[in-house]
Amino acid sequence: MFDPNKSTPKVDHEEKCSGEAKYVADIILNNTLFAKTVRSSIAKGKIVSFSIPELPNGYYVVDHRDVVKENYVKMVFTDWPVFTSERVNYIGEPIMLIVGPDKLVIDEIISQIKITYEEEEGVFDLVNSVAHKSFKKGDFEEASKRAVRTIKETFETGYQEQAYIEPQGMLAYLEEGGKVTLIGSMQCPYYIKNAVINTLGYPEDKVRVIQPAVGGAFGGKEEFPSTTACQLATAVVKIKQPIKMIFEREEDMLVTTKRHPSSITLEAKIDENNKVLGIKAEVGLDAGAYIGLSAVVLSRAMLAVTDAYTIDNLDVSGNVYVTNTVPTGAFRGFGSPQMIFAIEMFMTHLAKDLGVDPFAFRLNHLVKQGDLTSTSGFFRDPIIMKDMIKKAVAMSDYHKKIKEYSKPGVYKGIGMSWFLHGCGFTGDGESTHIKSRVRLVKDEQDIVYLYIAAVDMGQGAKTSLKRVVAMVLDVPNEQVVFDYPDTDFAPDSGPTVASRTMMIVGGLLARAAQKLKDSWQKGQYQEIIEQYKQPDYIEWDESKLQGDAYPSYSWGVNVVEVEVSPITYEVQLKGIWSVYDIGKAIDERMVIGQADGGITQGVAYGYLENMRHEKGKLRQKNLTDYIIPTSMDMPPMETVIMDNPFLYGPYGAKGVGELTFVGGAPAVALAIEDAIKRKVNRIPATPEYIMELINNE
Amino acid sequence: MVKHIIPNNLQEALNTLNAGPCHIMAGGTDLMIQKRNTAGTPPKFMKDVLYIANLEELNYVKKDGKRNCVLIGASSKLEDISHHPDVPNLLKDIIREIGSPGIRHSATLAGNIANASPAGDSLVALYLYDAEVVLSSVNGERVLPISKFITGVRRIDLRTNELIKEIIIPLLPVTKYKWVKVGGRRADSISKVSFAGLYLVNFGLVSDIRFAFGSVSAMVARSVELENSLKNRPIEQIIADLPRILDESNKLIAPIDDQRSNKVYRRKVATNIIESFINGIQ
Amino acid sequence: MNKIKFNLNGQDVSVELDPSLRLLDVLRDHFQLTGTKEGCGEGECGACSVLINGRVVNSCCFPLANANGKKILTIEGLAKTKRYQILKDAFHIEGGSQCGICTPGMIMAAESLLSMNPHPSDEEIRIGLSGNLCRCTGYNMIIKAVQKAAELGAGLW
Repeated sequence: MFDPNKSTPKVDHEEKCSGEAKYVADIILNNTLFAKTVRSSIAKGKIVSFSIPELPNGYYVVDHRDVVKENYVKMVFTDWPVFTSERVNYIGEPIMLIVGPDKLVIDEIISQIKITYEEEEGVFDLVNSVAHKSFKKGDFEEASKRAVRTIKETFETGYQEQAYIEPQGMLAYLEEGGKVTLIGSMQCPYYIKNAVINTLGYPEDKVRVIQPAVGGAFGGKEEFPSTTACQLATAVVKIKQPIKMIFEREEDMLVTTKRHPSSITLEAKIDENNKVLGIKAEVGLDAGAYIGLSAVVLSRAMLAVTDAYTIDNLDVSGNVYVTNTVPTGAFRGFGSPQMIFAIEMFMTHLAKDLGVDPFAFRLNHLVKQGDLTSTSGFFRDPIIMKDMIKKAVAMSDYHKKIKEYSKPGVYKGIGMSWFLHGCGFTGDGESTHIKSRVRLVKDEQDIVYLYIAAVDMGQGAKTSLKRVVAMVLDVPNEQVVFDYPDTDFAPDSGPTVASRTMMIVGGLLARAAQKLKDSWQKGQYQEIIEQYKQPDYIEWDESKLQGDAYPSYSWGVNVVEVEVSPITYEVQLKGIWSVYDIGKAIDERMVIGQADGGITQGVAYGYLENMRHEKGKLRQKNLTDYIIPTSMDMPPMETVIMDNPFLYGPYGAKGVGELTFVGGAPAVALAIEDAIKRKVNRIPATPEYIMELINNE
Repeated sequence: MVKHIIPNNLQEALNTLNAGPCHIMAGGTDLMIQKRNTAGTPPKFMKDVLYIANLEELNYVKKDGKRNCVLIGASSKLEDISHHPDVPNLLKDIIREIGSPGIRHSATLAGNIANASPAGDSLVALYLYDAEVVLSSVNGERVLPISKFITGVRRIDLRTNELIKEIIIPLLPVTKYKWVKVGGRRADSISKVSFAGLYLVNFGLVSDIRFAFGSVSAMVARSVELENSLKNRPIEQIIADLPRILDESNKLIAPIDDQRSNKVYRRKVATNIIESFINGIQ
Repeated sequence: MNKIKFNLNGQDVSVELDPSLRLLDVLRDHFQLTGTKEGCGEGECGACSVLINGRVVNSCCFPLANANGKKILTIEGLAKTKRYQILKDAFHIEGGSQCGICTPGMIMAAESLLSMNPHPSDEEIRIGLSGNLCRCTGYNMIIKAVQKAAELGAGLW
């Protein structure tokens, strides 16, 4: 499945196997105090009064009154309080920290804290829109006039919890001279640094962020750690002793960000030749109590409206709604999984309603190189989807099975999803928000050091980025060093998100390495700094959401086969086949790792992972009740990577981290639909939902 | 200050229990989690704790030929029980789907029983087999059928100076048995619905038939009356009686809505399973 | 105060701590063996896996008292053995570790499995590792790693 000759020795393998790798919970400093958060027990209301027992020596309260400069966590949209001062907007909203040397004493203090609320009626429906976006392509109204058929459906997706096996945590301490240093489980050292600088009002050189080993993140450690960091930074400035706060699983699950639940309505206008002339889409995302980066998630969701299809006329609108629930945030795919589930189901449903073969129907709308994207940009680069689909069909025996499983009384099904993922930040994000910079340093021994802020959270960045530099310089891997990012040494190469790490940061590193190679002076100290420059061909209008949303696209095909029990309605996965175009695999083993892990998580989003709330209280709050796959749930999986090098990516590489997630849910939902011969409009397609569909004709 | 007692033998354990009420800790896989406190701190125990997991005296699985039953000591681990040749296959199948290897190496059958969870899988087999628990104290022994020992959700008829010493499982001749566990996933899951059934066919007559549901009421749901009404009847008659069997079964169970599933699903699935079981008798 | 005596990674030790403490906390806080991780605290994820008399156990729901008289092996202890080297190499070749947080637990579970069943089938490996959750790999590469270890280390288990 992967060529070991096209794979690099994983630099952190030894320490991860032996247990020597230090995750934040493993780091021990002298005189460290513990912190625990006191949180709102109501979904909406005001804190009217509170009383704290007399604190023993060495124990502290830290709350909004201790915040030095700004009591908001700097993010894409800055509306999360560091500590709420009066209003509470979700169950679990942080009110204060209790800090001290003994956990039992902290627990005792917290049990004696009395908070009096004036409770208000919480809002849980998608009614309060705080952000609205829209864009058009072609002329949907005109296309409607030419249509002979209109079909409209609504799709719903639920929460998904990242469930990284390492819960969130952070350690804060003061260095000499009062520099605030933070070590924590994170994806974006500079997001944290900038948030802390903003909250403390400190200069750049008085805050330092260091990444330790990170045990999985998937987006859940993209923006959330900034809130913990601001709280601990405030505390450490007040108390002047190291403070460690490691979440246990239940707290992590209840209060950290999750995938946005969504409701998407799609309306298709179809002509007499069964061609979709236009689609009208309305997207609603539940942001929870605060907006954070939800507007960007909305953008990505809306932009993915036509997925791997070309539809000439579009009318797309979307809203971010706030509700009195835990704020939602980044999670692998970032809005596109919700939309791609909806559009993939919709396209198959349309075909079924029209009485035509879904495969042929979808193929008839498949995107081609040169087509306009949903936002009237261009698919400039070669698209090999037709070959990929052919390969996936052959690997999985798709057509034969579709026929066989269509017989009545057969509860087996097979589903195929076609999808894309725009690599990098949407639109001009790279040049306007991030302005990525990398730094290469060669010492007198000719050892080359990479200084970047990219976090290895399991995806292998530590190894693969090093490899890119070694390849360009044409030196052995051992001559290149990439230590865990430390903001004192590494410039801001941007956050480890949006499938940008190899393509953008790797690309910058490759250019920097080339410059170093061209100017190489043996035995001399050299430093190269390389700054991101937006390729000229990218034109994007953020206000109108028009133009080239992404510099490049990765593509995928997933096939999932299932068997559904007519007695228990349980779904058994029988086989998974995938084909991906990620430009070029720098390290095949790592790409297959991302592929296997991504589709497992994506398929589970489609049928297994269920999280609901009741008036703002999450019902699933631990790994017993929030079900993720075990080794026994996964069937054999086969993945093929096809080459389609991207001109501007290092060695032709594009993004991979999120692509491999995006197709799993629609593939399994289509397979379940095929098995039970009923339309699936909602994920997760749990046995309870399947029973409803089968029994409620 | 709570005391912790690690007895050297059964008598010491019984003496300790007689001196005052204790939590009895076997493997700890239920109790350690139920009582747990903040990470790094000891669990919240309000009574003294008696640790019996390492009592070798109670670590046995043996066949009693005279009484035709298998005896399982209180400190036998689930994993060992699941490998023993004399343990009924139904119980072994059930154990293999409990938790994970890590759990099964530590957890005990006695612990499962004492926990008396409505979702306890092993309990379904134990009820079906009319298993008994031997309760030991300084005053001697009491033997109770499991259906009398478990009195409600997490409630057992255990006196403060008693512990479960042994489980007696009568051996039954069986033509066929069925175990269905409906959990959230294929390992490490708490049952939403479970079902165990067995029957013995002699010359076309079903001379013994038993079935019970788990996770759909406060305790294992079994109707000996219903079973008796089916005993010694030809297979075709029993299958023809399905509507009544379904009706009675529905009256037997009281599924609930919770974070794992809902009552409509649980009831429908329980009904589907018993239907499939009855229709499958041959 | 109770004295709990056991063998830890080849050395006899005696601790005078609350016997109801989770073995996980005793290992991490008292012995500073941080290779054993806490992922869930409720016996679901297996990141806290250790070997008690050679068998894998979740140390987050195992009281210190039950360690009395046992042989306990953590990843730090296993890492000194030849079998570990084979497992580590096999995991590397097959890409069985990404973020690494589940890896020590997986390796402990694999050791427990192979010592009872040196040539497990695919299905048996999946059962053996069913108590270890991984969010990164989708398990396939881990299963292949254990198969590879069984091959490479034939005779060691």
